[in-house]
Amino acid sequence: MIKIENLSRHYQMGPTTVKAIDDLSLKISAGEFVSIVGPSGSGKSTLMNIIGCLDSPSSGKYTLAGEEVAGLSRDRLAEIRNKYIGFVFQSFNLLGRESAVENVELPLIYAGIPPKERRERAMEILKRVELQGREFHQPNELSGGQRQRVAIARALAVNPKILLADEPTGALDTKTGEQIMELFRELQSEGVTLIMVTHDPDVAAQAKRVVQVRDGKIVVDLPVGEWIR
Amino acid sequence: MTTFKFTESVKMSFRSIASNKRRSFLTALGVMIGVAAVITLVALGNGTQKSVEQSLESLGSNLLILYSGQPKGGSLVRRNTTNIQPSLTGEDLEFLESLIPEIIRSAAPESSSSGQIKYSNKNTAGTIIGTNLSYPEVRNFHPVYGSFFSENDLAARKPSAVIGAQIYRDLFIDGEDPVGQKIRINGVSFVVTGIMEEKGSSTSDSSIFIPISTFQKYISGSSMYALINIQAVDLDSMRELQTYIENEILRLHKLPNMDAADFYVANQLDLLNTLQGVTSTFTLLLGSIAAISLIVGGIGIMNIMLVAVTERTREIGIRMALGAKSSDILSQFLTEAIILSVGGGLIGIFLGVTTAIGANKFGGMASAISGESIILAFGFSVVTGLFFGGYPAYQASKLDPIEALRYE
Ligand SMILES: Nc1ncnc2c1ncn2[C@@H]1O[C@H](COP(=O)(O)OP(=O)(O)OP(=O)(O)O)[C@@H](O)[C@H]1O
Ligand SMILES: [Mg+2]
Repeated sequence: MIKIENLSRHYQMGPTTVKAIDDLSLKISAGEFVSIVGPSGSGKSTLMNIIGCLDSPSSGKYTLAGEEVAGLSRDRLAEIRNKYIGFVFQSFNLLGRESAVENVELPLIYAGIPPKERRERAMEILKRVELQGREFHQPNELSGGQRQRVAIARALAVNPKILLADEPTGALDTKTGEQIMELFRELQSEGVTLIMVTHDPDVAAQAKRVVQVRDGKIVVDLPVGEWIR
Repeated sequence: MTTFKFTESVKMSFRSIASNKRRSFLTALGVMIGVAAVITLVALGNGTQKSVEQSLESLGSNLLILYSGQPKGGSLVRRNTTNIQPSLTGEDLEFLESLIPEIIRSAAPESSSSGQIKYSNKNTAGTIIGTNLSYPEVRNFHPVYGSFFSENDLAARKPSAVIGAQIYRDLFIDGEDPVGQKIRINGVSFVVTGIMEEKGSSTSDSSIFIPISTFQKYISGSSMYALINIQAVDLDSMRELQTYIENEILRLHKLPNMDAADFYVANQLDLLNTLQGVTSTFTLLLGSIAAISLIVGGIGIMNIMLVAVTERTREIGIRMALGAKSSDILSQFLTEAIILSVGGGLIGIFLGVTTAIGANKFGGMASAISGESIILAFGFSVVTGLFFGGYPAYQASKLDPIEALRYE
């Protein structure tokens, strides 16, 4: 499903080059549930952005479902993001002027789904992340955890094939976090490929495989059973 | 763009416009004022043109005037004929009258002199005009009360007079019947037969019309005419007619060419053309001033849209990350700009029409609202939205999603 070969992402900051991802190779099959762990600034979000077709590598090759991403047009990338990828951003990225349900509807608008159906689906997904009663609140009227759940709901709105979650439980208490993990396991059983960035080893251990990065390189890549925290 | 995308863009635009009402209003204000200005100024320009044309028509229609004197670029506007040495003869008039009715409709000779008019103990100054019975028709100037002098008066050189509205006001008490009353013109006693209609011009309204034969006998003592008013059968023949008359009068006066002529012909067409040229230039000028303000309004839209794009960079990034294509972003911002400018345009039309009507009703200015200017101004405001909204919208659509997402 996801095949990354010798991929680098460099940022030129004046005279110095920041190697956010440095010659990294990674393969993830369809239906896997992978945790990505690593210290802050190790390049986890950068990797997620590339997998999510938002950012493009400085060098190396990224193949998604057999297609080489570098050769795709902007519009095709937009379509892939819309139809196949659900993205939960580390900073949520909700539209501040729109209500929770409208935020969840956003990807559905670009998928061309008519208003009525859109609303029904968004309401249903919000219920799934336990946000009933908060549908018409704007992000600034919601708690951090509630916002995070709106972001998760939005990522799930189009029934993505791949769910990319950057710290999806960062703002949640253990109980709500556990509910989200339950939801992720459900999604995996439905065949969704899950890639999750987390700092929390307990959360990481909920996945089936753990990838540890440091300085833009993979240092550990093990099934969760063999992974020593 | 599919209808679906279009309705989505429109919905988004209305929400964005509604979320910042004051700014949206100020943005649209430029276009509003521009459109209102175009409509009002063109209406005033057209109104002026129409009123000029009307006052020209009130001179009489299809009018040629054969003047005594050196040709020097004829004007239809009544010159002070009292100072001209009359050079037109009875023979000239007879010739012209022989052209009725095939070539000309009628001819009215005119000689004038200033004079003192007296009635009982009142006294006023006026222009005494000697003419014939064709005058009211040729100059489109008719009596409102009583009648013009008669055929019989003309033939018998009777001292009959038709007085202008101003003369009536000067000499008579309001409501007093002047018909049959005796007035004295330069000491000669005349009988009033009627009052002319009000023309609004002091020369016309302070005139007294008497039979040309009487004028020659009592006032000028000469058989010459200062000018002859000629009414052509139609507008199209006027140019030809002018040349024909010039040639024939040259022959009658035994003169070689117009350079040596002691007369000239003024053509209503010339004046009409000149005035129309002037007024349409005037309308064009007003229109372009207004169009400039429309462009300024467009720049206002562009400015605000550029600010909006910068402000909403993160929103654009989010939308793109969630699957918005460049065309979606383009149409969203373009639609917003067009709604602002078209909304401004519609309000501008309302304001412009109201102002033009108001200027006419309460300001006494001539205004004629032209449908074309409304369509033009409205079309221009749509184009303004497209053109000046296009650039910011294009900028927005070309943002890099990841850069836009990072924008603080
Ligand atoms: N736009 C950018 N310009 C310059 N440097 C960048 C940019 N984005 C990321 N970086 C650098 O790349 C490195 C990796 O960043 P990244 O956001 O991927 O880290 P992370 O692993 O997600 O960290 P965290 O756990 O704190 O979220 C960091 O050193 C960061 O400073
Ligand atoms: Mg990160």
